Amino acid sequence: MKQIAFGAVASLLLAGASLSAHHSFAAEFDINKPITLSGTVTKVEWVNPHVYVYLDVKDASGKVTSWSLSSLGPAAARRAGVTRANFGQGQTVTINGYHAKDNSNFAFMRKMTFADGHSVELWLGDDEAKK
Amino acid sequence: MKKAFLVAAFLVVSAPPFAGAQTVDLNGIWGVASLPPAVKPGQSVRWLLPLKGTDPNGDDVFKALDRIQVNNRAAAPNKPEYKPSLLAKVKELSDKQGVLDPAFYCKPQGVPRMGPPSQIVQTPGQLVFLYGASNLFRIVPTDGRPHRADADPSYMGDSIGRFEGADTLVVDVTNFNDDTWLGSDGYFHSEKMRVIERFTRKGDVLTYQATVEDPEVLAKPWVQNARELKLSTSKADALMEAPPCVEHDAPHIVTLEHH
Repeated sequence: MKQIAFGAVASLLLAGASLSAHHSFAAEFDINKPITLSGTVTKVEWVNPHVYVYLDVKDASGKVTSWSLSSLGPAAARRAGVTRANFGQGQTVTINGYHAKDNSNFAFMRKMTFADGHSVELWLGDDEAKK
Repeated sequence: MKKAFLVAAFLVVSAPPFAGAQTVDLNGIWGVASLPPAVKPGQSVRWLLPLKGTDPNGDDVFKALDRIQVNNRAAAPNKPEYKPSLLAKVKELSDKQGVLDPAFYCKPQGVPRMGPPSQIVQTPGQLVFLYGASNLFRIVPTDGRPHRADADPSYMGDSIGRFEGADTLVVDVTNFNDDTWLGSDGYFHSEKMRVIERFTRKGDVLTYQATVEDPEVLAKPWVQNARELKLSTSKADALMEAPPCVEHDAPHIVTLEHH
């Protein structure tokens, strides 16, 4: 599997005011509540200020629960080479993320892993800072 | 004879400055970074929004993003200076930015927060500013006409431009509404705001600098830091339609962190 890794490209934070204004992720999501969801991607909403993925999760009894997941903004995704086509509409995936503080069926998506094992991860941080 | 002279003088005064051909050429895409190739579906990709010094697996990256941005702004020496009587209001707006910032609800960031245009189209008598990230545009007449008197106050205001020397365009912007901020830290303004934007071209670098005047709220005009924008020379950099702004987050905001 070919892995594309873009390192610390020119800081988006300093890229200028043309980026749309973002809400604080910390005001919505709890890093201490990691979550794993498996299901079918019913819709990928490629919008500002954040991309949304909608996921239908079926439990053991067959009951379906619908989740929505926020990602980074579409401009940041595109700077990673990621377009809507990489987000697996209609496919069965496993998503790792962080649950919303309000405990609704809403989470931040860190990584989407597909049935064939390939994955798309859009996240934040600095690999050089590993402890 | 005298009459002919007067007509000639009038023509000289009223001719569009552009007709002199001594004006700067601002046509082009400015300050837009080239995009990497799109990742093929089926290919793995891992990308990190850069947060210097933050372990992507160990630290609270959400809080780190806020902290880094807030600290960077706090450390920046150049901030708008408000009248002393309004400092408490600025602080209150800043503290509640997470729910009060108009730009969070898909409203235009407006001039000058939206920054310089990503593309300029220059024609005799007017310029068109295109903002690729938000699908917005501005028209800047340069034919000597005054500000229009029939427009409602707006997010991007009413612009008129004039050329200065052989390398500079100066745009005077008035008639703003007060539904934008100058920045994330509660920097509100009144409808009396006036913005002067200077565009100076040296070779393939365009320097953009905005000055904000608002005698209602500012103690003195705020001269923003100049920004340098490089001319794009790749055809692949043509502006594309930006995704629309669709706000889903507001109902899920439970705390007042902001960045």
